[in-house]
Amino acid sequence: MDLDTLLSFRWSVMLPEFIILGVATLLSVIDLFMKKESSRKPLAWLAGAGILAALIAVFMQLDIEVTSILYDTYRLDSFSKAFKILLLLGTLLVIVLSSNYKKEDLEENRGEFYYLLLAALLGAMMMASSADLITLFVGLELLSLSSYVMAGLERRNKRSNESAFKYIVSGGIATAITLFGMSYIFGLTGETNLFKIAENMGNLELLKHSFLIVFAFIITFAGLTFKIAAAPLHMWAPDVYEGAPVPVTAFLSVVSKTAGFVILLRVIIICFIAAPGIDKEPILLQVQPYVMVLAAATMIIGNVTALRQRNIKRMFAYSSIAQAGYILVPFVSNSSLLFELIWFYLLAYLFMNIGAFTVIQLLSSQEGSADVGIFRGLFRRSPWLAVPMTFFILSLAGIPITAGFIGKFGIFMGALGLDPAHYWLAAVMMATTLVSYVYYFNIIAIMFFRDSDGTKVSIPGGMAAVLAFCTASVIILGIMPDLALDFFYGNFDVNEFFMQIETEVHTHDH
Amino acid sequence: MLQNSWLIPLFPLLSFVLLLIFRKSKSEGTAWIGVLLTGLSLILSIGVWIAVWQGDGIKVEGTWFEIGERAITMGYEINPLNALMLVIVSLVSFLVHLYSKGYMHGDERFPVFFAYLGLFSFAMLGLVLSPNLLQLYMFWELVGLGSFLLIGFYYFKPEAKAAAKKAFVMTRIGDVGLFIGMVLLFWQVGSFEYDEIFASVRNGDISSGMLTLTALCIFVGAIGKSGQLPLHTWLPDAMEGPTPVSALIHAATMVAAGVYLVAAMYPLFQASETALTVVAIVGGVTAIFAASIGLMQKDIKRVLAYSTVSQLGYMMLALGASGYVAGIFHLTTHAFFKALLFLAAGSVIHAVHTQNIEEMGGLWKKLRLTGPLFLIGALAISGVPLLSGFFSKDEILASTYADGRYGLFWLAVVAAFMTAFYMFRLFFLVFTGKPRGDQSGVHESPSVMTLPMLVLGVLAIVAGYLNTAWFGTFLTDYLAGGPVELAHGDHHGPSWIPIVATAASLLGIGLAYLIYQKGTLSRNWITRSLPGLSNVIYNKWYVDEGYDATFVKGTKGLSKLGVLFDKYIVDGLVAAVVSGVQGLSKVGSSLQNGQVQTYGTFAIFGIVILLLIVALTGGYFT
Repeated sequence: MDLDTLLSFRWSVMLPEFIILGVATLLSVIDLFMKKESSRKPLAWLAGAGILAALIAVFMQLDIEVTSILYDTYRLDSFSKAFKILLLLGTLLVIVLSSNYKKEDLEENRGEFYYLLLAALLGAMMMASSADLITLFVGLELLSLSSYVMAGLERRNKRSNESAFKYIVSGGIATAITLFGMSYIFGLTGETNLFKIAENMGNLELLKHSFLIVFAFIITFAGLTFKIAAAPLHMWAPDVYEGAPVPVTAFLSVVSKTAGFVILLRVIIICFIAAPGIDKEPILLQVQPYVMVLAAATMIIGNVTALRQRNIKRMFAYSSIAQAGYILVPFVSNSSLLFELIWFYLLAYLFMNIGAFTVIQLLSSQEGSADVGIFRGLFRRSPWLAVPMTFFILSLAGIPITAGFIGKFGIFMGALGLDPAHYWLAAVMMATTLVSYVYYFNIIAIMFFRDSDGTKVSIPGGMAAVLAFCTASVIILGIMPDLALDFFYGNFDVNEFFMQIETEVHTHDH
Repeated sequence: MLQNSWLIPLFPLLSFVLLLIFRKSKSEGTAWIGVLLTGLSLILSIGVWIAVWQGDGIKVEGTWFEIGERAITMGYEINPLNALMLVIVSLVSFLVHLYSKGYMHGDERFPVFFAYLGLFSFAMLGLVLSPNLLQLYMFWELVGLGSFLLIGFYYFKPEAKAAAKKAFVMTRIGDVGLFIGMVLLFWQVGSFEYDEIFASVRNGDISSGMLTLTALCIFVGAIGKSGQLPLHTWLPDAMEGPTPVSALIHAATMVAAGVYLVAAMYPLFQASETALTVVAIVGGVTAIFAASIGLMQKDIKRVLAYSTVSQLGYMMLALGASGYVAGIFHLTTHAFFKALLFLAAGSVIHAVHTQNIEEMGGLWKKLRLTGPLFLIGALAISGVPLLSGFFSKDEILASTYADGRYGLFWLAVVAAFMTAFYMFRLFFLVFTGKPRGDQSGVHESPSVMTLPMLVLGVLAIVAGYLNTAWFGTFLTDYLAGGPVELAHGDHHGPSWIPIVATAASLLGIGLAYLIYQKGTLSRNWITRSLPGLSNVIYNKWYVDEGYDATFVKGTKGLSKLGVLFDKYIVDGLVAAVVSGVQGLSKVGSSLQNGQVQTYGTFAIFGIVILLLIVALTGGYFT
């Protein structure tokens, strides 16, 4: 590749990534030159400003048509824009959480935390914007490696260390599995570009090897379930969530999970959409029963095990496993509304889960415990915490007038609106939702029906802003879901997802 | 008037918001906010009702949101059925607000209670105004939430907490059915709108199997909310809430929502004979089953609770037996006399501070207003001629008979006998005989409590004249303006039916008189002659215990299994592998406790098993 070719690319489409990269670099330099004693808190502002700028950049890109540079290793399409908005928004809220997270242990690493967070975000954004197995994998690893360190940032806290250790080992296993699966894909098609893979998958020669295609599918899919914390690679979540600092837990359960869904959609759908199974039936249809079993197992394991948890962070880990199961439903049932359903649910999930973690962080750091008991009598002690928390829980449980209800409703409609309808998957979803009412409403009951010791919880301004924003979003999206859906339909065209761009640039011909 | 009907639910919502703001206020004047605002709802509802009576109706809606190409709508609708419901709900809600001002006097969280009442009323009125199933479902869930807060209002009582959770989760089981039925209907019809669903049903666009399935799914929702068998156990437990709440939720509004749902979706049910039969059987069996439990309860509110379950069963029976008007008629009269009975019971509890009827007695002379009012309610529910319950019950019996369901007809007659018996057992034990407890400080309740009872007392007498063979079938004509085609016209079956019904009722009252008033018959002659059966009845047919042994233990077991699986089984399975790995790694480090290996092994095993299954069942190696 000569300089001319390099210069001929439309680098401006990468503006959001450049902003994040620049700010992350800047942060690391500043952190290096700052006096050891001085507080790193102001760095949060810089990190936040950077994310906000990147967010604005993405919004400015909304009307750019599909563009691809660097031979499709980077592409800007509706899919990447839509999901980058979620990733950026989620990280922005996590920044606010972290700037109010007071733990002496974290202070010495605070500067480090912010640029690690941005590095993780950059990895996630690359995952949203790439159509090549190699860059996708690099993005995935950038996200993973940064997350491993973040989980262990409280260096003197044993649990935090344990959490990081478990995360890195499980993550390593998952990476190995993913790579193993990808190597099959490469072996079958000889390509790393997703669209070329799709082309070659349609090759009739491959029909003879349909079992290998299924093999590749199952292994890649299973490896990618790690990031979204779904079966069979879900077991790390409770331990890691429990030990990691709360803002990191919030990041893992929201942003990292969103990135997991992004890569899952990209790789699995594009690579396998044209792949034939036996009798020339599309392979995506043939593997459906097995993937459905995984989705059902995820919902069951998450919701049933959550019942027994006393530690609120563990409970939310299982709840987040269960939520991943719900989001898998439109994916495995090949719903035509796949993208908007997943996008909307993840948007709702972002608000309700980060909101809930805000409350958890405030309570657990005040009480020095993460037992469910910290919620006792919250309505009488601090109604301004209890009422938002109630909305977040109602939303997570999927009760009407909240965004979570609309999300779940859409998924359910999608599952039953297909022909043939996926009755039993929908039934598992409803039944496990019912089970989830028990532990979700246990928290509400503790907040409203338990006596309190009267200690109020102080809410710093930043946290109050996050709470207000998340509560308002959860309610507004529950009452007027059109705000988000119209935005989605108005700005994004899901067909772009499947649109291959010829990126051959012939600059040196003349 | 009709254009403004959307305001009706908003007044209580406003009351909820205002009272939450003033929740710290010590002044009990805050109650007037709730009373006044629900009063406005009541006035508006009556105005709407009058307009509908003159033949008006309205339906306003707009697109709420779009998923794919499907538009989901939202709006409000007024038709004869829901206009009637609006009046019932807002009237009872208004009276309960007023009554609570006296009943809750001195409670620390006085404004909070009224705030919750407002939230509940808002949800219930919103439910009634909904023009489509989705909107109904949303308010349906909100109603559940409101009742959760109200039942658990005495949060310091563990029973109240448990009852609140139980009510919420139990009714939610029914909601799952409603939700599935609703979504299935949507994919058949392409809309959640009642009108469009009915149009599709009329045009025969839906296969008969699907009709039955969706109708039954929706009926499951009604079973949960209306406390029908087998999801009835939450309702008696919900009596842990304050008594005005019981009058509001468990007499006239929330539990009636299930009946309302079946009535609102009636054309769908009419299209499926199977669905109607199921509704009739569930209703009939619930009616007699709950009545039998009511015979032996000792808690005044629990007797009324089982009586409510039983009466709701009657309404379902009526609807199942094509007695659309009869069902709604009984819903109306029952709302008045049961609310009256609950409020009167509350007045008694207010006076004697106990709910155990064994500790009451002889209160007739002390409670000069409550006593007669309770008697009116008891006479009405027992079906004594000329009071409201007589007419509506008679109509149910007539419809059941006319529909050819003779077995259920006789079941209903026996249930009527039982109703009369347990109501008057209650009456005699509470109001007559000698005081069995300390009644030194007993006095009549303040007028703010007796006034609502008086209003309900009058209605419990006159509401029956809405629809009689003698004076005119006003209700039938009124409901004929709705979407339901009243196939059978009015059911005035053989003239011996009212006589049988009256006889059953008088027999029950007479028997109660002989046992509990005169003492001619020993109190426990039934218990003695049939010890096994009465034991079963006393223990409420062991339904709760059965659930505990199966579902609760089952789920707990499953979740234990999940944890055990995480911890031990996988551990045990892979112990050999792990010990090998552990031997290599440094032993003793608190971090490397083997669990991560477990996770990894689980993941690998999971994938291997999945691949094996694919290989075996996928048909790739054939």
